[in-house]
Order: sequence, then C-alpha cells, then structure tokens
Amino acid sequence: MNLQEYISSGIVETYVLGLAGTEESAEFERMCAAHSEVRRARDDFERLLEQQALDQAVEPPLQVKAKIFSRVEMEKENTPQTKYPVPKSIPRIRAGWSRYLAAASLLLLAVSTALNYYFFSQYKKYILKYDELLSSQTQLVGENKVLQTRLQDFEQTLNLIRDPAMVVVKMPGVPNSPSPSSLATVYWDSRSRDVYLMINNLPLPAGDKQYQLWALVDGKPVDAGVFDVKDALSLVKMKNIPKAQGFAITLEKRGGSPAPTLDAMYVMGKVSG
Amino acid sequence: MEALKQRDDRAFGYLYDHYSGALYSIVLQIVQSRELASDILQEVFVNIWRRIESYDPSRGRLFTWMLNIARNASIDNVRSKGFQNTQKNQPIPENVNKLGSTVTQTNVDSIGIRKTLEKLRPEHRVLIELAYFKGYTHEEIAEIEDIPLGTVKTRIRNALLQLRQFLKS
Repeated sequence: MNLQEYISSGIVETYVLGLAGTEESAEFERMCAAHSEVRRARDDFERLLEQQALDQAVEPPLQVKAKIFSRVEMEKENTPQTKYPVPKSIPRIRAGWSRYLAAASLLLLAVSTALNYYFFSQYKKYILKYDELLSSQTQLVGENKVLQTRLQDFEQTLNLIRDPAMVVVKMPGVPNSPSPSSLATVYWDSRSRDVYLMINNLPLPAGDKQYQLWALVDGKPVDAGVFDVKDALSLVKMKNIPKAQGFAITLEKRGGSPAPTLDAMYVMGKVSG
Repeated sequence: MEALKQRDDRAFGYLYDHYSGALYSIVLQIVQSRELASDILQEVFVNIWRRIESYDPSRGRLFTWMLNIARNASIDNVRSKGFQNTQKNQPIPENVNKLGSTVTQTNVDSIGIRKTLEKLRPEHRVLIELAYFKGYTHEEIAEIEDIPLGTVKTRIRNALLQLRQFLKS
C-alpha cells in the first residue's frame, strides 16, 4: 500500500474521530511523524470537522459558563501554585454513585436472601401443618361416615322392632342346648313374611361352623338361612318364610345343611297365637 | 496556547465562547437531553482546564482533542446511566434498530454528524451509531452485529469516508 492509498483508506477519519484501535492509532502516529503528507491529510480532516462543528454549534444554556468558572476558581484556590495532577483518563462522572449503588445492591441482595430463607422455612412449616390438618380432616370424615352408617342401621332396626305388624318370636335355650343360656329373637313381618333375626346371646362358633335358622312348618324344619354372629349384632334379614309355627337355630358346617343336626340345637321358640 | 497552559482566565473564557456551542452540539448528539448535556458540558470544560497541559499539538488540533474529551465524557455518562435504567434489559441489536429507524424523530437528529448519518446506507449508519455515538469497540460491534471484525473495520472506514464527503458539501 502506497502512501496515497494509506491516506485515503479511511484511517485518517477513523483516527481523528477517536474510533481507531490502539494498534491502528500507534501506526497512524508513526506515519504522521514520518510523512508530512499524512500529517497534512489529518490536519485537513480536523479542520473540516472543526468547521462543520462550529457551523452546527448549538448554544448551551447561559448559566453553564458561570458554573464552569466558579468551579475552576474553586479548584484554583484548593491547589495554589501547584500543578494539577493529570488524570490518566477522564474520571467517570458517576463513578462515586455506582460504588454506593453496588454497595446498596449487595446489601439489598443480602436482605433479600435472608427474607427468602425466612419465608421459605415458614412456607415449609405451614405445608407440614396443612398436611396434618388434611389427614386429620380425612380421618374425621371417615369416622363420621362409619358412625352415620351405624346410626342408619340402628334406626332401621328400631323401626322394624317398633312396627306393630311385626310378630316377635323369642327363642330361649333348649334343655339339651350346648349353651342353655343362649337367646335369640325372630322378628317376622306378618305382611311381607320377611324374617329378621336378632342374636341376644350365642357363643362364638369355631371357624368352620355356622349357625343356621330353621322355620318349623307343620312339624318339618325348613331352611331359613345361615348367619355369622358378628353380622347379627343388630338385625339380620333371613329368608322369606310364608308360614311357620316356630323357629330354631342349630350349629352346622359352614354354608349350612339340608337337614338340621338336632343334637346341636341351641335355641327354639314357638310363634304365639 | 501558552496563555491557556498558564490557565489564563481570559484565554479560557475565549476558548469557552468560541467552542462551547460546537462541543455542546456533540454532547447533545450523544446524550440526547439538553439538561444532561449542560451538566456534561460543565464537566468537559473543567476537565479541559485541568488537563490542558497534557495536550500535545503535534498529535492534532486543540479542537480535536476537546472533541474527544467531550465525546468520551458523554459516552461514559450514557453507559453508566445505562446500568441504572431499564435500557440494560433490552437486547442491544433491537435498541440499535430502533435508533436507526427513529433517526429523524428527535430534534437533536437534525444537527451535526447525526444529520449526515441519514444519508448513509443502513448497515453503515448502524456501525457509526454504535462506534461513534455509543462508543463500542470494533470487537464489541462485531459481536453485536454478528459480522467479522475485519468487515467492521472496513465498513467503518468506508462509512467515515462517505461521511467526510457529506461534511464537505
């Protein structure tokens, strides 16, 4: 690249406007020192720039000049006769501010972190409490349902017992019963002929055995169904019996037998009237 | 010049009267607020007064030296302000495009180098905006605009050569 090409490459303008990198600047300064043509080109552009800037000048507010001179006066008084140290670069006007801002933001960050930690631990605490409340609430609802079911059972039982159409057959222990103190009661609906059984007192049988209710129809036993003691705490609905003179309970093998085992008869009662 | 280096009040007063308008104009073109520009102009002249001894006439004209002080002070101010306001949350290229498209809308765009910017091609205009008015280095611009460093340098030089033609006419 010859000198003329160098001059017209744009480096002059780039340098003068302060847009050249450090290497470019150093090279340009060397070229200026070595070649008057380069210096002249630089000077030409500087003059053009200056003239243009003066032509395009915008008058600053009047008070600015007075402010500058009062500041200059103050600096003169503060540094009498001594040369003002040349700063390496233009001091950043807001440098002081940004320090305070940095300090303040660090402080805010610390406070925010502490608050975050505090709120998070509170949050975890309340989550735990919420879970506890939720489970105890679920438990209460469950218990409530059980109670309601039992209450309904009792109400039903009570209504059946209170019904005037209900024929009550008391069945005490028979003389040769394995448990003479046994007692059970049949509630027999005289309209629908449905049979309900209440156990007042029967011993718990072995696991492979089950009590069976029999209706005594014209001297013959008719199966009225098997039951478990634990189900008969209130009333158990048995088979529908259209006609009977009495009822009896025997202990049979689980599932019941076609004919009663007479020596395992616990209780028996006659239909009155 | 000697009177200035002796910090003669009258010489400094003359300097202010002669150049304050030109320097105010360049500050205004960068910070785009008259109030802020007035504050910066104060700092610029106080700095000129403080540093007049470091001015070396062999390296260029006094005005060029002052112009660069004014430009650097303005860019420093805009950049440090950028940390405090919401502008930092905007991606830079978006910001640049916005500047490019609204060049004719604010009043300071009708003065100085900014006025001639309009005549440049958009890809040149953006580079001058970033380099001269925002003070980004060539490396930063290459990254922002996603173009090779060499291209940034060439384009800036070409843009400035064109700018020079516009300044002349």
